[in-house]
Amino acid sequence: MMVEVTAIIRRDKVAPTMRALDAMGLGAMTITTVSGRGLQGGNVMTDLDREVPAEYDAVSKITRNLTPASFALVHSLTRPVFWIPKRMLQIVLPSSMKNEVVDMIMSVNRSGWMGDGKIFVSPIDESLRIRTGERGVDSV
Amino acid sequence: MKMVRAIVRPEKENDVVLALEAKGFPAMTKTHVFGRGKQKGLKVGPIHYDELPKVMLMIVAEDSSVPVIVEVIKNSAYVGYEGDGKVFVSPVTEVYTIRTGEKSEG
Repeated sequence: MMVEVTAIIRRDKVAPTMRALDAMGLGAMTITTVSGRGLQGGNVMTDLDREVPAEYDAVSKITRNLTPASFALVHSLTRPVFWIPKRMLQIVLPSSMKNEVVDMIMSVNRSGWMGDGKIFVSPIDESLRIRTGERGVDSV
Repeated sequence: MKMVRAIVRPEKENDVVLALEAKGFPAMTKTHVFGRGKQKGLKVGPIHYDELPKVMLMIVAEDSSVPVIVEVIKNSAYVGYEGDGKVFVSPVTEVYTIRTGEKSEG
């Protein structure tokens, strides 16, 4: 049995993720450039808000550009960002390796901030290596 | 969980996204793709276009919200001519949020 692990991750995490996968003996994957948005609808301000230090009062937050509202104003944005550039990694692997790979991707990509991404696991019915005609687990 | 993949006209992308957002589905991934359908592309005079630009939207949702999503896409991406696109639904067994490590199944 095989599964496909689809990970949608930050652009700058592709290389570390690939290195970690290589170390596990998984060299094969497909990478796609995608744009994404999460439950915040692409609103990166939700994230930025957490950066504002508590010691600033309301006025200096605005003059120092520290609130989402003033940031958006300065950048002429009514709504911060619609689409955030992401990379989508698709890896087909035997289902026995699934948990190990998912844990690894999560530990490499976790920064604790919104936008770390999602991992989807879906079943693959058939797989075929075109050059040799091998089928199933042998071909991945 | 199911993944809904909608391949729509690029000029309809915004309509579809806003319609989905209004129904409470703001989270999705998009990518620009090229494809052709049953008509094998488009023929204008002697010129044959067999790679037509489209936008693919990918939405992962609970099984119960799939009919709603499909209906919203169907209505907002509709023009009535060949090339309006397709919607595919495929199974997803597990979903992880990387930031929290939270897992949802089914």
